[in-house]
Amino acid sequence: QRLRILYTKILGVLQKIPKDAAYRKYTEQIVNQRFNLVQTETDVQKLQDKLNSGHIEEVIVQAENELSLARKMIQWKPWEPLVEEPPSDQWRWPI
Amino acid sequence: TVRPKNEVEQKQLCAFGEYVAEILPKYIQQVQVTCFNELELLIHPDGIIPVLTFLRDHTNAQFKSLADLTAVDVPSRQFRFEIVYNLLSLRFNSRIRVKTYTDELTPVDSAVSVHKAANWYEREVWDMYGVFFANHPDLRRILTDYGFEGHPFRKDFPLSGYVEV
Repeated sequence: QRLRILYTKILGVLQKIPKDAAYRKYTEQIVNQRFNLVQTETDVQKLQDKLNSGHIEEVIVQAENELSLARKMIQWKPWEPLVEEPPSDQWRWPI
Repeated sequence: TVRPKNEVEQKQLCAFGEYVAEILPKYIQQVQVTCFNELELLIHPDGIIPVLTFLRDHTNAQFKSLADLTAVDVPSRQFRFEIVYNLLSLRFNSRIRVKTYTDELTPVDSAVSVHKAANWYEREVWDMYGVFFANHPDLRRILTDYGFEGHPFRKDFPLSGYVEV
């Protein structure tokens, strides 16, 4: 139902990210798993048990969050190498 | 008595830390796991908002709750203040710490757009340390007196203050 539309949208957005990003791989895995489960199960209760992550409404909210995150990732591009190295004593503890 | 070491949890936390570092290599500089099973992510200050939104929205890492926002003053370093965010995940029951650095006069992006709870915490960090947050609605003094000059929690502020009461 709504979950199917949301997951197709997420997969569409993910296609825009360059192929070798780790984010794209992992999110595609997760989304495809959930998508397959949603398509095979028509009974709401059994779907909840199989997904094992709370009520269906929560799963819908989570999918909407994932969609907005994917859109923002296209802007921010976090898969490039480091922006800047820290100064060498920045994270030394104890000083 | 010493706390018994939970090896399984440590390995899980290590694996999760590597997963996150693989997904976001642009901003994460280092990942640590402390001996009492706490994960820390050390981040370049430009990447606060992306990393916090990622941790909030991603399915494998649902850290919806901002538990704490503090700053640490280490005067001998070039970037003086370290800003620490503590996040809690309700679905997976785990905590994570995110650390960034800044020096005195560089503004930091505000976390209010990601977590609404950051509002008063950032006012407190501004008031006590002097770290300016850009895009913060209503950044003003909290906890100090109305005409107070100076930022109390810095290491060079004396214990009894500059003004006699």
